[in-house]
Amino acid sequence: MILEVTGLKKYFDTPAGIVHSVDGVSFKLAKGETLGLVGESGCGKTTTGRTIIRLYEPDGGRIIFDGQDITRKSSRDMLPFRKRMQMIFQDPYASLNPRMTAGDIIREPMIIHGLPKDEHTDRVSHLLRLVGLNSEQAGRYPHEFSGGQRQRIGIARALAVEPEMIVCDEPVSALDVSIQAQIVNMLEDLQKSLGLSYLFIAHDLSMIRHISTRVAVMYLGRIVELSGSDELYSRPMHPYTVSLLSAVPIPDPDKSDMRKLVALKGEVPSALNPPSGCNFRTRCPEAKPECSHLTPELEDKGNGHYCACPFV
Amino acid sequence: MNDEILSVDGLHASYFTTKGEVRAVDGVTFSVRRGEVLGIAGESGSGKSAAMLSVMGLSGSAGKVTAGRITFRGHEVTSSTIKELRGKSISMIFQDPMTSLNPVLSVGWQLGEVLRRHKWQGDTRSRCVEMLERVGIVPAAERLGHYPHEFSGGQRQRIMTAMAVICNPELLIADEPTTALDVTVQAQILAMMRELREASGMSMILITHDLGVLAGEADRILIMYGGRIMEEGTRREIFYSTAHPYTKGLLRSLPNPERPRERLTPIDGQPPDLLSPPKGCPYVRRCPQAMRICLGHRPETFTLSGTHKYSCWLGVKG
Repeated sequence: MILEVTGLKKYFDTPAGIVHSVDGVSFKLAKGETLGLVGESGCGKTTTGRTIIRLYEPDGGRIIFDGQDITRKSSRDMLPFRKRMQMIFQDPYASLNPRMTAGDIIREPMIIHGLPKDEHTDRVSHLLRLVGLNSEQAGRYPHEFSGGQRQRIGIARALAVEPEMIVCDEPVSALDVSIQAQIVNMLEDLQKSLGLSYLFIAHDLSMIRHISTRVAVMYLGRIVELSGSDELYSRPMHPYTVSLLSAVPIPDPDKSDMRKLVALKGEVPSALNPPSGCNFRTRCPEAKPECSHLTPELEDKGNGHYCACPFV
Repeated sequence: MNDEILSVDGLHASYFTTKGEVRAVDGVTFSVRRGEVLGIAGESGSGKSAAMLSVMGLSGSAGKVTAGRITFRGHEVTSSTIKELRGKSISMIFQDPMTSLNPVLSVGWQLGEVLRRHKWQGDTRSRCVEMLERVGIVPAAERLGHYPHEFSGGQRQRIMTAMAVICNPELLIADEPTTALDVTVQAQILAMMRELREASGMSMILITHDLGVLAGEADRILIMYGGRIMEEGTRREIFYSTAHPYTKGLLRSLPNPERPRERLTPIDGQPPDLLSPPKGCPYVRRCPQAMRICLGHRPETFTLSGTHKYSCWLGVKG
């Protein structure tokens, strides 16, 4: 295991009250594996990713990276771990400094982590070629690249210090369909050649299915279902997963006409004041009176298929 | 024939920037029939939004229609007549429900403004209540007094839709109406739009990059690239008898649920630079089947059926 997260909590104190963004999330990530983290806006998937690499301070739970507890490490003690865990961001426009050249952007983590200076330039050229750009482009500024090319620069930056795990936060959502496939293929190739582990955060369920070995579905700060990706998509158990999958548009007219839509009532409740017990019960088509006072835990329903609902 | 409510013939539109002329729409011809949903698919910069903004006369100060003819119900649309039609007979909704509503005015006021502007002949308030109920915002009478920040993203898109259809338009142009929304909310909004269409018989142009949405919603589909229409057909023709290499490439680049872990087939290269577009086919540099003729000569349009056409030199071979 490269990563083990247990009971992770992250709350934000706002003028309106305490937002329960991540409310007891547990999962493991094996070396070389891709775990997909999927859910709708506000479910806490991005906050989970950021808390794991300690961009946010956790309010509860434990984060074990390669056998070592990093939950409370000081920023100085975190530095060697930060080299081993990197992040790729969603927005290829906002995540690159417009005043730095592509080469300087990729070089920056090498400076921070004290890689030998005489290797920097060669390494920048190598990384640019690795992500499908060429070394002559090192002197160009972000605005001279297209969206897909900028995302390649962001990936080269994440790879600069040879990490073992990368948190990919919606890395292709801002890109056009034809470019998404280019970047996803590249991430898969890099994973194979460099032995990387990915936590892949996205809201696009078909892309998550394609790239992930296992998938965790989040709703309102909690994981409601976690299983192997084929198993999850062919036999979803949790009522939320069932309705989520039924809402994904299918690019095939006949299949689209034939499918049954399991519509959900209403909207996602506020994370300021989540419902008691099972927090999905206010929208659940199967809700029972007892759901208001028992908090469902993820339990193994067989074949490593975990579901947080005692009634399935 | 007179089934056609909107027809656009040879539309060219450009944006004039400091770097030069961007040919956003480069000779686009299509029509919309009464009661149908015409889907327009394309990636960023394909000209799908620019074409619709040109139709609506909303291209802004830098944008200009340089050639072409637009007719609505048989009458030519000009820069003066569009002002009469806009918001009444033809309306448009945009991608971002967060920025399309005025944050300092109640939604009731904003809905009523559309009616006042178009000199609605009935009771304004009761019409606003009726429309909010039809888009599923309840209790409508109470919600009229609320401000945009008191609604979720999905609710705001419902309100935008109510505003767009409050004068019973004959054509609704929806530009990426669900792109900013989550899938479960998207499904709710698409279902609501379907109900509104079934009740009123209005036509709709649905612009999206999501081929899955079009497979479910559109009667006919246009595939755009580099400011031009690459392929046009019924939704079955586009998905099951795909003719253009670009459309094929788009469909192949999507993950296939039947073969979940299979490597994706991307379209190589980058979209064309519209400041200096290729002389021939805009897709030539990314097309796996490109021929010499594609570089220098703009492809002709070949007809496959009464509804299915594509612009590609491969059509010569038949």
